Amino acid sequence: MALVSRQTTNALVFLGPAIVFIVCLLIVPIIVDLVVAFTDMNQTVRVGEFTTAQFQKLARPSEDSWWGYELRGSFYRALSLSAIYIFFTLAFFNVGFALVLALTTTALPDWLGGLYRAVWLLPRMSPSVVYGLLWLWTVDPTERGLLNQIISVAGFEPINMKLDAPLTLIVFANGFIGASLGMLILTSAIRSIPQHLFHAARADGAGSLSILRHIVLPALRWPLSYITVFQTLALLVSFEYIFLIMGPARQTMTMSMLAYTKTLAPDIGSGQYAYGAAITLILIVIGMAVAMVLWRLTNMQRLLARPRIEVQ
Amino acid sequence: MAQAPDWDALARRSRRGRLLKSTLLIVFLTLVSIPVLLPFFWMLVIALSARTGGVESDVLWRACAVLVPGTLAYVALHLALPRHRLLSALVCSGAIVLGLWVLVGDELHLRNFRFLITPNLIEEIRGAATAGGQFPWVWEAFVNSFLVALSSTFLKVTVATLAGYYISRFTFRGRSAFLQGLLLIEVFHPWMLAIPIFLVIFWIGLLNTLAGPILVLTAIQLPFFIFIMKGFFDAVPWDIEMSAMTDGASRREAFWYVVLPQVVPGLIAITVLGFIQGWEEYVFVTALRTGNSYWVMSTYLYYVAEDVMGVDYGLVAAVSVFYIIPSLALYLFCQRYLTQMTFGGIKG
Amino acid sequence: MARITLNGLSKTWGDVVAVDDISLEIADGEFVAILGPSGCGKSTTLFMLAGVYMPTSGDILFDGARVNDVEARMRNVGIVFQSYALYPNMSVLKNILFPTRFQKLDNAEAKAHDMAALVQVDGLLDRRPSELSGGQQQRVALARALIKEPNLLLLDEPLSNLDATLRLNMRAEIRRLTRELGVTTILVTHDQIEATTMADRIVCMNAGRIEQVGTAHDLYARPSTRFVAGFIGSPPINFIDARAPGITAPDGADVIGIRPEALHASESGIPASVLHVEPMGRESLITCATDLGELKMLEPTPTSRFRDGDRLALQFKSEDVIAFDGDQKLMEGPITWQAADA
Repeated sequence: MALVSRQTTNALVFLGPAIVFIVCLLIVPIIVDLVVAFTDMNQTVRVGEFTTAQFQKLARPSEDSWWGYELRGSFYRALSLSAIYIFFTLAFFNVGFALVLALTTTALPDWLGGLYRAVWLLPRMSPSVVYGLLWLWTVDPTERGLLNQIISVAGFEPINMKLDAPLTLIVFANGFIGASLGMLILTSAIRSIPQHLFHAARADGAGSLSILRHIVLPALRWPLSYITVFQTLALLVSFEYIFLIMGPARQTMTMSMLAYTKTLAPDIGSGQYAYGAAITLILIVIGMAVAMVLWRLTNMQRLLARPRIEVQ
Repeated sequence: MAQAPDWDALARRSRRGRLLKSTLLIVFLTLVSIPVLLPFFWMLVIALSARTGGVESDVLWRACAVLVPGTLAYVALHLALPRHRLLSALVCSGAIVLGLWVLVGDELHLRNFRFLITPNLIEEIRGAATAGGQFPWVWEAFVNSFLVALSSTFLKVTVATLAGYYISRFTFRGRSAFLQGLLLIEVFHPWMLAIPIFLVIFWIGLLNTLAGPILVLTAIQLPFFIFIMKGFFDAVPWDIEMSAMTDGASRREAFWYVVLPQVVPGLIAITVLGFIQGWEEYVFVTALRTGNSYWVMSTYLYYVAEDVMGVDYGLVAAVSVFYIIPSLALYLFCQRYLTQMTFGGIKG
Repeated sequence: MARITLNGLSKTWGDVVAVDDISLEIADGEFVAILGPSGCGKSTTLFMLAGVYMPTSGDILFDGARVNDVEARMRNVGIVFQSYALYPNMSVLKNILFPTRFQKLDNAEAKAHDMAALVQVDGLLDRRPSELSGGQQQRVALARALIKEPNLLLLDEPLSNLDATLRLNMRAEIRRLTRELGVTTILVTHDQIEATTMADRIVCMNAGRIEQVGTAHDLYARPSTRFVAGFIGSPPINFIDARAPGITAPDGADVIGIRPEALHASESGIPASVLHVEPMGRESLITCATDLGELKMLEPTPTSRFRDGDRLALQFKSEDVIAFDGDQKLMEGPITWQAADA
């Protein structure tokens, strides 16, 4: 009896607070979202009736389409913008450049490599509003903008990235932040390769490129897939920097931006909570799918390794 | 080998290859890092040199003309004389300070930072009748932000440490289901659930309070932090916990006296991450309508830049610098702890 | 194959001196063991020879040419690591073939099969390293190191992860292979049996310095320093203060060393009482308390005549005992013991 009650109090003391937080502010919201997505909730935050109207705003029945529905214009646009934005940010920065940074900084002496990694972590550690401002000043369309100051030296006319290349702008702004997480994970993965393998390969006559191909890249397979999957989701739901830099501009209205501006965005959010919840529901479904993939990339055996003390 | 190799030629080739490789790497990394650093430097220059509304791009390039050769010289000295690092650091920083003094010394001033000591700066500039009239002193926002960051960090670290220890070290029914469920929850990025969280907070009645963002910030980072702490606890050898228990400690005593001191690097890492997150928070502070009653640093800066002082670049940059300093200081001091984290048990 | 010369070689990490000014000449085709306790700088020396570490000062010469600056991949050196360092993502065959990617070699595949047959892993070529036992991994690592016909073969504690029987087999195996191929070989080990059974010459290192270079017999019978005397030999040598009552030693002697097998029980001699008796299989080791301190004696019988607490007298032959001066260096001169005047 005493053992059972000690087990219960232990669970309450150690795990209780975490469960309360997770259930109240993560699980309950997911369920709430599931319900609200099928209502007509708007600014008054009241439920009038249960309806699938919100989803009809996203897609309408169509005879021509192979799956019987046709996406509405604004949603279709948001979906394709999201796809383009995620693909390029991921390929160029969050995976591609993260790999380049991890490889190059680990090839240098530790103090120097660490210095460059610290520089690349700077954007992630800066408050988002400051970071957004920095980009606004960089791409300022007048000759005061940092970018325009630089290209005017090269003899080009001032450019207005916000107007002419908004997608490129948000890819760069998010990529400068996104590269650092992958860089950290990959750096620690490279570090955990036994030194002996590098020594053996060098003694066997391998140059830097062969070591990269035969020793380093095989060891990075799992971390790379993990980063790709995890960052896809992170980019899909991110809107903070897009909002801070571009505002509610149509050219960068990705899926998560659409949900945000229709509901909560300061001053412009129009409180269409049910509509936002419907989009969120789609994101949740995608999130679940991503989680399943992440499961496969996780070392469950290590994660679930049994504790070795049985006493409570 | 059929014949003896030409060792001298091989040595020459090796030396050349090594030099070429490190030069290429350094040049490449420096070139790609400049776009990251330059905007931050630009902000600092504006804050320190802009006079009423103007932006001094001149100062930026003159300062760069000193800093770039100075830094290059430092790296070169560092590589050439690895035994005299302190000396080369002193020489180069001395030269840089002197160069900056000569080239841009006259342009620098602290007038843009007067918002720190003038409680009603906006009134002074715009007049009390305007919207800016209700604009608070920056320290009010500072204290609120600090409060949000500190209390959410305290909650996050305490709750995540307790839970991380329990799932790492205790057997209980449903442990693997709990862990797998946590892994599932972990992918739910905070912003994704902004709308339903807003509704929940609305129904609890915490809109318009500081408590709202504090609780939400705690919850959304919790799964991630629990996994980080589990990773640190997993790495503590079982032997020391077992020997603490054979020495007469209960498990809770073993946790407090023996295991917890082993994971201090992990505690520091999540404390820093948690604080920086709370300090910078913008989305939930606005979404949960906290901004209606309480100013925090992010909303303060946002409105300074957007509404009130949009054209006074000097002032906006000075507020930005003031805002970024706590995050940056914390990050720089604790940087080495942040790189020790393990990330959710990725397959190796 | 190559003749290897180390000339005043040093390696420091910040303030820590790992290898301190060592010089050594290794003949073409010779098998040399570097023997010493962990942390004595032997592995650092090995990695400098491989080109993985850069010497802080001093030179490494292959056939008289300075190779300090030559990268590891151009030195044509084969290494076998303690952990074997097989590439986990490649099969056994791919592992053995890996070095041949980087040098032109006719029919590499056939050579790899020959190599695999030589080290007796030809049945395992498609396996992954993780599917092999320790001894098999070791053989694969050896094949990989030898396939490119290295100038120099480096073995870093290659046997320490194997169990006792396997270790015995592999010792003979490695010796046979290196003789057959005539490759210059350097073995790094902390195990004196390994060093004495395999090597032509032994280099004994301590605290970054070379203490003695010589054959196994030299090191055992004429250790040039006190460290070597204490490190070589099992059970270890007895050290006695040279100025202890009854000891007659050459002038300037600081300590004298008596091997346990040089002591024997006798009618008269150093009065001693048995502390404990340890049967060691073929012999028995008897620890005695004497006025000169604790002495260990080896009795060449499986079961001892003595019991704990027995009294006996210990005697030794003068020529079996060695003396060291204040600098811990070996001294010449006769050493005797005589009962102090009663």
